[in-house]
Parts: sequence; structure tokens; C-alpha cells
Amino acid sequence: MTPLLSVRGLTKSFGDHHVLRGIDLDADQGTSTVLLGPSGSGKTTLLRSLDTLEVPEAGTVRIGDVEVDFGALPAKGRAREQQLRALRAQSGIVFQQHHLFPHMTALENVVEGPVTAQGRPREEALADGRRLLEQVGLSDKASQYPSELSGGQQQRVGIARALAIRPRVVLFDEPTSALDPELVGEVLAVIKDLASQGWTMVVVTHEVRFAEQVADQVLFLDGGVVVEQGPPDQVIGDPQQERTQRFLRRVLHPGG
Amino acid sequence: MPRPIRALLALAALLGSLVVVGALAAGPAAAADDRPVVTVGSEGIYPPFTFRDPDTGDLTGYDIDVVKAVAKKAGWRLKFVEAPFDSLFAALDSGRIDVIANQISINPEREAKYGLSDPYTYSRGVIVTAKDTKDITTLADLKGRTAAQSTTSNFAVTAKKAGARIEPVDGFAQAAKLLEQGRVDAAVNDNIAVLDYLATSGSTKIKIAGEAGEQTQQALTFRKTDRDRLAEANRAIEELKADGTLKRISESYFKADVSVEDGGDAQAAGRGGRSGLDVAKDEAWPMAVALVQKTIPLTAISFVLGLALALLVALARISANRLLSAAAGVYISIIRGTPLLLQLFIVFFGLPELGITLDRYVAAIIAFTLNVGGYAAEIIRSAILAVPRGQTEAARTIGLDYRQTLRRVVLPQALRTAVPPLSNTLLSLVKDTSLASTILVVEVLRVAKTAADESTEYLALYLLAGFYFWIVCWLLSIGQKRLETRLDRYVR
Repeated sequence: MTPLLSVRGLTKSFGDHHVLRGIDLDADQGTSTVLLGPSGSGKTTLLRSLDTLEVPEAGTVRIGDVEVDFGALPAKGRAREQQLRALRAQSGIVFQQHHLFPHMTALENVVEGPVTAQGRPREEALADGRRLLEQVGLSDKASQYPSELSGGQQQRVGIARALAIRPRVVLFDEPTSALDPELVGEVLAVIKDLASQGWTMVVVTHEVRFAEQVADQVLFLDGGVVVEQGPPDQVIGDPQQERTQRFLRRVLHPGG
Repeated sequence: MPRPIRALLALAALLGSLVVVGALAAGPAAAADDRPVVTVGSEGIYPPFTFRDPDTGDLTGYDIDVVKAVAKKAGWRLKFVEAPFDSLFAALDSGRIDVIANQISINPEREAKYGLSDPYTYSRGVIVTAKDTKDITTLADLKGRTAAQSTTSNFAVTAKKAGARIEPVDGFAQAAKLLEQGRVDAAVNDNIAVLDYLATSGSTKIKIAGEAGEQTQQALTFRKTDRDRLAEANRAIEELKADGTLKRISESYFKADVSVEDGGDAQAAGRGGRSGLDVAKDEAWPMAVALVQKTIPLTAISFVLGLALALLVALARISANRLLSAAAGVYISIIRGTPLLLQLFIVFFGLPELGITLDRYVAAIIAFTLNVGGYAAEIIRSAILAVPRGQTEAARTIGLDYRQTLRRVVLPQALRTAVPPLSNTLLSLVKDTSLASTILVVEVLRVAKTAADESTEYLALYLLAGFYFWIVCWLLSIGQKRLETRLDRYVR
């Protein structure tokens, strides 16, 4: 089976700092991929590259049948923007800070993409949006503004907004890192629920326990390369690389 | 970013079409009857020659009646434009008016530059001083003293030649006030104008202190190139003299015929009797009309166009395109680094030298729009930059393009930040429109000034004008509060 998501030789630097040094990644339809790694390892940059929020210098990203070869991308102009938009449309991203639009209600946030960007009929998009809010457990908050919601609720609206554009892959960028500890559970529960429904997901997180439960594969990144990858019971349960072991010790036994 | 460029071009086209419309409007208007339209420039604040009738509000006076009689003989259709004396010659040069009817004295300099008609007034200049000034009785006494004059008037030349320092004023009434207040030493002006002022104001603080030279003659003033019209005017004046019309007009104002040499001693009845309160009451309505017809539309149109321009300039300023950004920077710097009055003058008096003659309203709107554009651009730029980066990223990831992101996500949030400073810009603009009075726009302040010069009731009229401006600003600031509350509804 051809993987739904396929990344080859992705490189990206900020000035002299090489953040990604040739990343490869494959993810099958309906699987969850968790990216682990210390801060500065490049995992967030990798995730953002999949949604073209960062534009790598070289390498390819393919989602479904949309492929962009960043090495061959024009430096500017219409053709460049068209290619990036095509790839961007394949994925939805959930940010660490929810980045909800503060001047729109929860439901308006969710339908903004379908209605304004995709031009779908408003009524249809609203019905879809309500269904999505129900799915993340917020059917009673549709007409609340983000400032009237708790952190966990905000993040769940963010998830519904990402799903509303009907992406092929859902990307999560440390979705619980900015939350108060007691709010983490409700967000993770929603993500688990999505995984069980067969969404294809790539998740950057520090929640190792969550990775163990949800991930089909785990990639451990450090210094812009994939150090180790495989199923969670292998990478987390029995890491082979010294760097992976050290990272897991630090995360699982902080202060220890 | 090609879109801001396209939008800038669109705005340029809009301004361009305004220019064309303005130029057309400034030219001879198409009319139902085929008489040529002749536009007359006059002060409207120099009684009894040119002033607004306090009862009817219409422009009237000896010069106005004369030019009307000339037009009737010559077969012209008249249009009147009121402007400060010192703007009249510039307006004639730039083609905004065709003739000045404002007691223009014949002198060699003017004869060289303009087309002067045969005289329709013979008058003499007098020196006016404060009541208790004893040491000024002749022109020679003016040496080293200060005289209040309209700078482009013939009397200013007389005073200057006598060695006086010139304090520039907008008309004789203002000069008289300065004399009464002891701020200048003297003023040289027309005998009749002074008599009229004394009769109207009942002032006992100033007096006619002496004669200012020979008798002078006043003429209608055309552009040098306008030979046909000048010839028509001269024929008409000759006929009016012959059939006694000029004599009749003169006697109705002065009880003497000033249209010939030695026509007797002129008298001025004046138009006294109104108190400050009466004048304010009489002028309240004309000023309200000027407010609604001139000040408010000028403000509204300029502000809306200015905001649109400012948005484009702000986007250009933060664009990745260096050329665009630099151009926007230069524009902002020029607008913020030069006086608004100067910008008005350049558009109105300067551009005609390049062949672009704009209608006064169009010129005012363009100048104000450009001004608002420069100031508001910086406000909008900083408000856009204050919107968190995550907002535009989130917009992009759900598929919004540049324009949709701007319209749906960035601008609504930037608006909240920009409303208070933009309100300041708007309130300033309301008051700045009073500067348009210098380019012949009869807005609130101009109406107040005209009435004040005619009645000499300055305090009452300027307080009333201030009240009108304040009311508008007060209403706008209430609107600002409401808008802020509305925009605040999603912020806790």
C-alpha cells in the first residue's frame, strides 16, 4: 500500500542553523505518527513544513497525490503560491496556542475555512460545523467567543476548525503544552477519539504515555535528523539509541 | 505582493478621474442658455463694495452691482466665487475666476500683467489710525511704523513705498480691529470703505488721520490674454456711463457719483444696529448650511478616501517588495513633514501651473485625502503589525488567501487597535477642513469670517463657529465610544 503521507530528504535552515537535515517519513492512511524529541530537535519545524508554514529548502512532501518538490519550487510568484496552497489544503493543523480568531464565535471559527476559503454553501458548512463541535464535546458552546471558553475548550474548537476543511492529514503541534494540567485530559481524549475514527494524524507532543497508547509509529528526532523510529513499544519501550534513552529518562522521570 | 500594486493603481485611477471631473467642472459649465459663463472673484467682506447682505445673505455691494450691470450689457452669465483678497489674483492667474470685481486700483505693475478695464470708481486713499495717535497725518509719517494691509493690495504698495512695515491681514475690517486693539500703528485704505466701517461699527477708537496721496481709479481685472472679454467689458462700461446706470448705482450706495472724477463727497450709511447676539442669530442658519453642505461632506469624503488610501499605503509599507515599501515611506514622510495648508496650496494654486486646474472642492478633497492617507497609514500599519502572527498562520492553514486573511482575520482585529487613533485623525480632519476657506471653499469658518468682517462682531461669530465644530466632534466621539464597545464584545 502506498503511504498517504510521504516525506523525502527534507532540509531546512534558519540562517546558519540547520534545523532539518534530510528527514524521511512515511505514514499510512488511518495511522497516527508521533514525533518526539528535545526542544530544538526540529520536530515542530517538520510538522509546520507539512502545512507549508515553513518552506523547506530541499526535499519533497507528498500527501495523497499532491507532491511538492521544495528544491524545484520557484522563489516567488504565482506558480509557487499555487503549489504551496495545493499542499496546504491537504492538511489541517492544531496549534500549541489555539490561535482561534477572537472576533468570531466557536462555530464561526469552525466554518470560516469551509465557507470563505473553500466556498462551500453556508448552511451545509454550518451543519457540518455543529456536528464537529458536537464531536469535540462543545455543541453547547457554538455561539461563545473564544475568550468565554476555557483553555481546553479553546483547543477543542481549534481541533474542530482544523477538521472542518476536510484535510487528509491532521497535524498537532504540542496541542496540550500550553494547557493547565487538569485540562490536558479532555484534549487528549478528543485526539484519541479521532485516531480511533481513522483520521491520519501527525502529532508533536511530550506526552509519552499518550504516544504509547495512540501512536502506530513513533519518530524520535534530535539535531534535525530521525534518530530512531518504529512502533511505540519499540522506540519508547525498548529504545536502542543512547540519545533516545536519555531523552525518555528525562521526560519520564523529571528531576530524577 | 501584486495585489496592493493593483489596488494602488485603482486608487490612482480614482484620484485621476476626480482630477478630470474637477477640471471639467472648473471649465465653462455646459448650460441651458448659450451665454458665456464668466466667473467673478470677489472678497465679500469689503463693504460697501462687496459684502453679504445681512438680511438676505446674498452677495451684494457697489462692485457686485456694477459687474452685474456690465454682464447684462455684455451678455454674460455670471458665477460668483468668494475668496480672501490675497487669493484673488492667484485664482485669476490659475483660471479659476475670469474677472476680479473688488476695487482693484489701477497701477503700472497691474497694467503690465493684467487686462484692466476702464475705471468705474474714482476714489482716494486715506490713512487710518487709532483715535489717540497724534504723530501720523501724512504718508511720510508711516516710515518705520506698522501698517495693516492686504499684501497684494494697491494700498499695501502705497504704505510700503512710504516706508511702513506691512502687517498682512485678510481685509480692512481686520485691519481696523488691529488698530482698535493697538496692535498696529496705521492702515491705508479706501476713503469709502473706511467711512462705511465707521458708520457700521460705530467705532470711536479709530479715525481718518490724513490723505494717502492722489486719487486712484478702480477697474475690473481680467487676464491679459482675455482681450475679447476686456473689450466687451469696456464697451459695457461706456454704455453704462452714458445711460446713467453707473451714476444711479453709485448714488444708491454713496449719495455721490464715484464713477466719475469729482463726483462729489461720498457718504457711507453703514449697516449698524445689530448686536453680537443678533448677528449670531442671523448667521446661525447660514453657518449650519455651510456645515452640512461643505464641512461635513468634505470631512466624510476625504476621510473615507483617505482611509482606503492609508490601507494601501500601510500594506505597501509592510510589503516584502522593497520598492513599494520605500515609495510608501517617502509618501508618508512628505505628508507628515509638510504643513497641510501648504499641501492645499500646492494642489489648488500650484498644479494649475502644470496645466491641472481643479475645482476647489475636488482640490480640497484631494489634499485632505492625501493628508489623511499619510497619517492613517502609520496607524493602520502598526495596528496590522499588532495582530499576532499566529492569527495569519491559522488563517493560511485553513486555506484563506492573502486578501481573505486581511479582510476576515487581520483587519477586524486591527480595527480595534486603530479606532482610537483613527478617531483622533477624524476629529482633526473636521477642524482642518476650515483651512479649505483659503482655497475659496465657503465652509463654516469662512461664513463666520465674512459675517464678522461685515458686522465687526468677531467674538460672537467665532464662538458660534467653534460651537458648530465642537458639536460635530462631540457627536463623532460618541460614535467612537459606541464603536469601541461593539468591537470590545469579544474581549473580556
